[in-house]
Amino acid sequence: MAEPLLTIDDLRVTFGLGRLHVAAVEGVSLRLGEGESLGLVGESGSGKSTVLRAITGLAPVAGGTIRLAGEPVRLPRGMDFYRTVQMVFQDPFASLHPRHTVDQILAEPLAIHRVADAEARIVAALAEVGLGPSYRFRYPHQLSGGQRQRVAIARALVLRPRLVLLDEPTSALDASVQAEILNLLETLRREFGLSYLLVSHDLAVVAHLCERLVVMRRGRVVEETTAEALRRGTVGEAYTRAMLTASKGFSREAGTGTG
Amino acid sequence: MTAPLVEVEDLSVAFDLPDGRIEAVRGVSFTLGRERLGIVGESGSGKSQTGRALLGLTARNGTVSAKRLAFDGIDLLRASERERRALRGSRMTMVMQDPRYSLNPVMTVEQQIVEAYRAHRRASRAEARGAALAMLQSVRIDQPERVMALYPHELSGGMGQRVMIAMMLITDPELLVADEPTSALDVTVRGEVLRILDALVAERGMGLILISHDLELVASFCDRVLVMYAGRIVEELRADALHDAKHPYTRGLIGCLPRLDRDSHPLPVLDRDPAWAL
Repeated sequence: MAEPLLTIDDLRVTFGLGRLHVAAVEGVSLRLGEGESLGLVGESGSGKSTVLRAITGLAPVAGGTIRLAGEPVRLPRGMDFYRTVQMVFQDPFASLHPRHTVDQILAEPLAIHRVADAEARIVAALAEVGLGPSYRFRYPHQLSGGQRQRVAIARALVLRPRLVLLDEPTSALDASVQAEILNLLETLRREFGLSYLLVSHDLAVVAHLCERLVVMRRGRVVEETTAEALRRGTVGEAYTRAMLTASKGFSREAGTGTG
Repeated sequence: MTAPLVEVEDLSVAFDLPDGRIEAVRGVSFTLGRERLGIVGESGSGKSQTGRALLGLTARNGTVSAKRLAFDGIDLLRASERERRALRGSRMTMVMQDPRYSLNPVMTVEQQIVEAYRAHRRASRAEARGAALAMLQSVRIDQPERVMALYPHELSGGMGQRVMIAMMLITDPELLVADEPTSALDVTVRGEVLRILDALVAERGMGLILISHDLELVASFCDRVLVMYAGRIVEELRADALHDAKHPYTRGLIGCLPRLDRDSHPLPVLDRDPAWAL
């Protein structure tokens, strides 16, 4: 069998020293095959975003290994790493340079990676995310939240990565805009054969976009399950079930504890 | 029949900005008794500005106008700033979205709650402290003595929001406006905070306005729901009749959420008819 695109074994991430020492991720292992989508679910502080940041080299790895197509990643990550792996952040208001036009934002990764015919790539990237050429010379503040997130997705895809790390890509957006972005992500995945590693606190979003998911709590994996099982409600762990119940809205009956 | 707690008729809120006038709320009317009313809409729909206008918290560059804006028979448009201030925090209060921003970061929980209480009640420090402890207990905070000494950065999101609710309810208000009170919280904590709010509202016979973008949540919590779009109320619904919604915007909002009990690819998206905003 072929090597999975991404293999993480016993990943540990710690911050701070002494009294301030925090183990954010304690021994997380996961596999993501080519063309597959995996969801990372958990509440705030569960370490789900830290796993993504550790993959890209934004968080210090204290132990364990991260392998991309079988090859251990280097520190600092090389150019070829970023050509394969790109990330979309949660808040499109914070992740785009406020004084760069859309054109500059999309041109930068192309310039860094010395890609020829940047011009055509930028026009194509905008079209792929459903933005017309008229958006090319606008600044982020002239765009709505959904349009900004489209630009952020275009920036991630302009280098034709194989793996896209999505950190709560729709949680800053209105419900109707979220639907548009989720549809866009699905279309792009099909079109370019992308793999997604999606971090979200919203079980319905994860089940919509991913086939498999990993539930994290306090830096550890508590359960690995499928979107299918989530839809049927056949999840093993009490914690996953508590999240599932809570996500169905408010009920007057006294609480199902968080376990 | 007694007069309703809140009467709003033809409320408009407009902001004069350097690049033109923005009409955030346009002709909103509703009344509220001692019940739970939800206001739902997406960003920019004017739902928060409606709540703020009611409390008199509209930013300085905004103009509020209405045919009638009354609380318990008091005409809020004629009331002086002083009278508004006496009402606010005592008979009508507001819980905001994120406890990290709405609590004072350099005061302990005790100082803040005691201050809120003594601003509106003649009470000794000891009495105020006793009231604060009792209030923290009623929002189900374990070890209230310990929590009283903490600073906001030492609280988790759910605790912070419970402290905020305690502070807002300590003066025994008749109206509580909760603006996205649980959006910054984890799903499992959200239920707990809402249940506390629900119990307190029922116990004290308060009027509650819950402002949220989350239609399903509001419908499961409130008695009535107002759906706002572009500054107007486009539809009013009984919360249990959400799925009989008629307005295409409301129906679109219900349909566009990914759901666990229904797998639809691609998700239906909202086609915004410009006529809705007229």
